[in-house]
Amino acid sequence: MAEAVSLSNDWTVLNEKLVTLNRLMTTKAAIGQTPKELIWTLNKAKLYRYVPVLPAQERFPIPIILIFALMNRPTIMDLRPGHSFVEHMVGKGYDVYLLDWGVPGPEDSKLKFENYTLDYIPRAIRKMKAVSGAKEFSMLGWCIGAILTTIYAALRPDDGLRNLVLLTAPLDFSNREGLTFARWTDEKYFDIDSVLAAFGNMPGEMIDFGAKALKPVENYITNYCKLWDSLDDPRVVEAWHSMNTWVTDIFPMAGGAYRQLIVDFYRNNRLIKGELKIRGQVVDLKRLRANVLNVIAEGDHITPPCQSEAILPKIGSTDTEIYRVPGGHIGIMAGSAAHKRTWPHIDSWLAARSR
Amino acid sequence: MPEEKTGTAADPFEAFRKLRDSYLEGMSKVMIETVNTEEYAQATGALLNNYVTVLAPFREAMDKAMAMTLEQFSLPSRQQVMSLAERFTNLEIRLDDMDAKLDHLVELLSAGTPISNSPENGKRAREATPMRHTTGKRQ
Repeated sequence: MAEAVSLSNDWTVLNEKLVTLNRLMTTKAAIGQTPKELIWTLNKAKLYRYVPVLPAQERFPIPIILIFALMNRPTIMDLRPGHSFVEHMVGKGYDVYLLDWGVPGPEDSKLKFENYTLDYIPRAIRKMKAVSGAKEFSMLGWCIGAILTTIYAALRPDDGLRNLVLLTAPLDFSNREGLTFARWTDEKYFDIDSVLAAFGNMPGEMIDFGAKALKPVENYITNYCKLWDSLDDPRVVEAWHSMNTWVTDIFPMAGGAYRQLIVDFYRNNRLIKGELKIRGQVVDLKRLRANVLNVIAEGDHITPPCQSEAILPKIGSTDTEIYRVPGGHIGIMAGSAAHKRTWPHIDSWLAARSR
Repeated sequence: MPEEKTGTAADPFEAFRKLRDSYLEGMSKVMIETVNTEEYAQATGALLNNYVTVLAPFREAMDKAMAMTLEQFSLPSRQQVMSLAERFTNLEIRLDDMDAKLDHLVELLSAGTPISNSPENGKRAREATPMRHTTGKRQ
């Protein structure tokens, strides 16, 4: 009898796990829930302002604009209520703006870094300054967003940029032996022109496969084994669900920008060498004078630490800091320990420089 | 099987999970080393290049057939729609710049500053980067 009861309980537990697993695989979590308003659009790009929760006199006068990569949704910065970097910063009194690049269509295949850094970002910042009434601002760039913000900061140092936070910034590609992506995209093996001629924009599925192939067993097997083991823990389940919703929301990257990323950055390392030309102008990193916080993820396999370490001696800023965090490319900002490490550090660094 | 003092049975799958995790850890190290080799890069590059090469004739034939069909029905081609979209974006940029200039003028008028003498006016006019028509040329 006891055995029958135990067997029945086991089947019930298994059934519940399967129901939960089915929900996780077939539904999308509600992410990006912090209240915001759309204040500007250009083509597919949208600038959002998050609704302040503190009265104006308690808020920092210097607004901050968040800029993520070109091939994933920026909702990673606002993953879920109770675990959102945006929510954290809004709660601390920052006037937070987010630039969402949107999904490029076939007509955007010619967009390059020059368009993003000299057409989109300056206009978004102009709107942010108009809405906030501030003449100076802070900017946070993550992953390819860090490349874009660095280029912008060097080309337009007089726009009012006071503070620049770089997260897992892939800026230095000199260590080719240590960069798997550099090996895969070498001109001996990867004919980028024929790929882009075939597809226009770089398909999101290929970019996603490339990122996952860096650690194939973890991404395709271990991830799901760990989920199965934790299906009875609601905290783990909801965290997984929201992260998976973000990870699976893939879309293409504009062909022109992708080609520049591979040729100018991965193959020729032009930015760090001082050879990168944007609209005919050389990007001189010495012109970047904003205060810089360079956040490096020590366990990052997508942007290894060596890619972010070389930038500070190259720029003209006098107030700079490197902050090394245990964790991966996404984990340092969206992982379970982000609210204990990365977020408070960014907050305290910015707070001292946002009055 | 040993039982804890609380009466909860030990997990019978614990040993299996440990074995599974060790196996996956070992496999992971092997796979990470494998994908970091020149041979893997060469193989995936060849796979992709072959796929694109095989796809090319079908794609060209499809594009030609589609272009002819659309022309027969007096419908715009993909290229024409894309060109229209690019022009819309350029228009949007111009409108955004005009909007910003208007805001600035309203600001100056509210402050009672003469518009022609305002040093900000020249700066604002220079702030917006000139619109560029993309030519598709590679740098």
